[in-house]
Amino acid sequence: MNKKVVVVVGGGIAGIEASAFLSYMGFEVVLVEKENTLGGHVLNWEKLFPTMRYGSEVLDFLLQGISPKVNVYTCCEVNSISKKEHQFFVELSNGENFISDAVLVTTGYDLFDARIKEEYGYGIYENVFTSADLEMIFTAKKTLLTKQNKVPLKIGFVHCVGSRDEKVGNVYCSKVCCVTAVKQSIEIKQIYPDSEIYCFYMDLRMYGMHFEHLYKEAQEKYGVHFIRGRLSECFENVDKSILVKVEDTLTGRPLKMNVDILVLMVGFVPRKSTKKIADLIGLENGRNGFFKTKDQHTLTNVSNIPGVFFAGCCTSPKTITNTITDARAAASTIASYLLHHEIDKRTINLAP
Amino acid sequence: MTQYFKTLQEDIRFREGLSACINCGTCTAICAAAEFYQYDPRQIVDIVQSRNELEIEELLKSDTIWYCGECMSCKTRCPRGNTPGLVIMALRTLSQDSGLFIESEKGRQQLAIKRTIGEWILKTGYCVSPELINPEMHPEQGPVWKWEIDNIRTLMKKMGANYQGDGPGALRKIPEEALSELKSIFDITGATQRFEKIENDSSKKAEEMGLKLTDGLDNPYMQYIYKHNSQNHHNNQ
Amino acid sequence: MLEEGKKRIWAEYQKAVPDNNYYFVRSCIRQTFFPGSEQAFIRIIRNELGKDIYETPYHTTCTGIGYHSDIIPFETTMTVVARQFALMTEAGYSNYIPSCITSFGLYTEVLETWHHFPEIEAHIRENLWKATKREFKIPDNLSHPSDIFYHFRKNIAEKAKYSLVDIESGQPLNVVEHIGCHYSKMFPGKGIGGAEYPCVLIGMIEAWGGNAIDYPERRHCCGFGFRQYIVQSNRGYSVSCSRKKFESMKPYQPDLILTNCPGCPMFLDRWQYVISEIEGKTYGKNNQGIPVFTYEELAGLILGYDPWELGLQLHQIDCEPLLKKMGIKYNPSEKYLGYNREYIGKPEITKNLFHCC
Repeated sequence: MNKKVVVVVGGGIAGIEASAFLSYMGFEVVLVEKENTLGGHVLNWEKLFPTMRYGSEVLDFLLQGISPKVNVYTCCEVNSISKKEHQFFVELSNGENFISDAVLVTTGYDLFDARIKEEYGYGIYENVFTSADLEMIFTAKKTLLTKQNKVPLKIGFVHCVGSRDEKVGNVYCSKVCCVTAVKQSIEIKQIYPDSEIYCFYMDLRMYGMHFEHLYKEAQEKYGVHFIRGRLSECFENVDKSILVKVEDTLTGRPLKMNVDILVLMVGFVPRKSTKKIADLIGLENGRNGFFKTKDQHTLTNVSNIPGVFFAGCCTSPKTITNTITDARAAASTIASYLLHHEIDKRTINLAP
Repeated sequence: MTQYFKTLQEDIRFREGLSACINCGTCTAICAAAEFYQYDPRQIVDIVQSRNELEIEELLKSDTIWYCGECMSCKTRCPRGNTPGLVIMALRTLSQDSGLFIESEKGRQQLAIKRTIGEWILKTGYCVSPELINPEMHPEQGPVWKWEIDNIRTLMKKMGANYQGDGPGALRKIPEEALSELKSIFDITGATQRFEKIENDSSKKAEEMGLKLTDGLDNPYMQYIYKHNSQNHHNNQ
Repeated sequence: MLEEGKKRIWAEYQKAVPDNNYYFVRSCIRQTFFPGSEQAFIRIIRNELGKDIYETPYHTTCTGIGYHSDIIPFETTMTVVARQFALMTEAGYSNYIPSCITSFGLYTEVLETWHHFPEIEAHIRENLWKATKREFKIPDNLSHPSDIFYHFRKNIAEKAKYSLVDIESGQPLNVVEHIGCHYSKMFPGKGIGGAEYPCVLIGMIEAWGGNAIDYPERRHCCGFGFRQYIVQSNRGYSVSCSRKKFESMKPYQPDLILTNCPGCPMFLDRWQYVISEIEGKTYGKNNQGIPVFTYEELAGLILGYDPWELGLQLHQIDCEPLLKKMGIKYNPSEKYLGYNREYIGKPEITKNLFHCC
């Protein structure tokens, strides 16, 4: 009997893990990735919260699951998908085509383009970085210096950049930025123990296991300062240091200070390039622009199109841990669907 | 039972200016008044959104709501799309309509504004023109201004203005017909009523304070509200 | 500073500015303190650019200052605005050009209110009919005169006799640009360049040879504050705001300040005088102040108009050192002459501020 085929669109950690599980469950898997390597955003994160272990270790672990049984196509995109009854006719950009029985969308996210938040001066003031820029410096093992090649003595972290912000059109919280700021503060303190670090936050979302512990460590062991006030605007001084304007809302006073480097904690946004595949298949977007899942509690891997499933951040911001779990859940869900298991027939009044 | 919050909600500027505040502080961070005065727009919005009638009444009676310069810098920053400046305008309107403005040093100044700017609009059709900026009331305008006022006709002519003349041109005499239309508009839209309320409430307060209030600007109550500063408004940094 | 970042933003915030047939509405403060400026605007539009501009003597104040001092109810202001539009409609125009920035912000606010709440617009139409028997059409376009000069900045540059350059060193002058708060802070999409990096004045400065400088308190209000200036006991707020700006711009050594709002140049000019009297401090070189210009004055200057007809002698901060720097030919002896070339005396000398004559 012919094996059932699943096409997985997106070779980040969600796509990798789901492909691995699906292939070991006995399905034929086609994994399509538009870059020239698998790994997605995790390739650019050096150490992961809350343990400070290397992202590359996690990626290596996941890749061990990509047996030769998974057909990996890198530097490839999906050019067209059309549905005929229960199957999908999929055409790739390298000319190959497949008939698949299910499609798993794992296209992931984009980081918020900080230039949109004009008053933060990203791309205008030289010493304004994003958290991703900082992480690239760590990954490339470069020394962290100002653009004038000086050792930074004062560093500021700005929470909620591109998140919880009606002005830029993203009302939601991106979940992972607060704990990333705490993590990066600690990392900088480890490099420059004498530096002063300030986190400008509205709320500190330390929801995950051990996040609160990391926050306490940042305060007690490393002396990171936390100021409850969202950045209103910043400016470049004559010496290229950055002038920060916030209100210290806990004391109720406006506060201005200079930092040498300002790090913007950019949030997650729906990946722009997924519009193509969304239009091809007819996928619906939710209120925040990410893909809409069929039911928020019980069917988070299921789309509005029968046979098309989701895993990872294409439906909402997630941590790496949650993404890996979500990928395995998607694999189970797809397996139940393809094998016509009874469990797949449960019903509920949908709350999408 | 007061209905301050309900009344505020009837003001379109209040509805546009406040949905819900998350106390992030971006408004206070950028506020010019917060730099110099004991003023925090975030706190004001927070008080108002609590709907506490007693606290709102305190605000309406206080100097606090009169510190804002209505520059609207706060509007550019709020991540919830609020505008503390518009909330302030609604509070100031309510403070005058309810008569509570008379209880604060800064609120009482509304009479000075009404008798200068307000009456000037009806008298001339301008908010401001040179005759209103008397060098004695405005020493900060400097010696060049005084010289300009002393020689105003010839200087205006030199600049190509049509000072107090008929027809178009800078500082022309605005025709009577236009002024009477303005008065008509003031009458049916509530401005005349507001002016009267400011006058009447101020008159009562002047009596209470034992300061004589007569017409015009040259009387003890007017001079007091125009010049008096208790010096405890500044936020001593 | 990385200029490409700003250019990207400017490209996003462009707006449609009409090419001709302007219905001009004057500004109370502009007329009072800078009467030569509005005349220069009209002269440049008609004579230099060959465009049609019309004003009716029957228009009044928009009541903006009264509205922002909270003595005039919003309904009154909206009805007065409606009357202003009715006069425009009657005159057969639809490009509304208010000279005042507070007015510009106010008209924008009123139009946005009516757009989102048509029942309010209907009510105001009723009011206007009841009070004046007038009817109005919404303008096709609402632009500020500085938008028009921005739109035609290259045409003006072509006809210019002078430019914003130090003739001795050949270097572009350092120009601080100050945008009135009510231009784009309330509705960023209605201002050229948006709220954070407005470029309506930068465009003019660069087209006319100067170098626009950016500094930390660029966006800060000059401090007018309406009631904060009108009432004497509040003026501390007003001067403190301007002082904050001066302190912030000083390290960048500006040669002049350019503004597009009527109130701002008056405040930035007068408060320098006041600070020199109170603190003995000045912000230019040699005890000079930094001269403050309206965009009409600056355009008129580079086109070669007589500084004394533009009204530069009405500034508290002397402009002559700058005129000299730019190599502008003018007659210094005519500064204190009246319309008939009669000598009209000089203003009193100030204590601490530099006087060149």
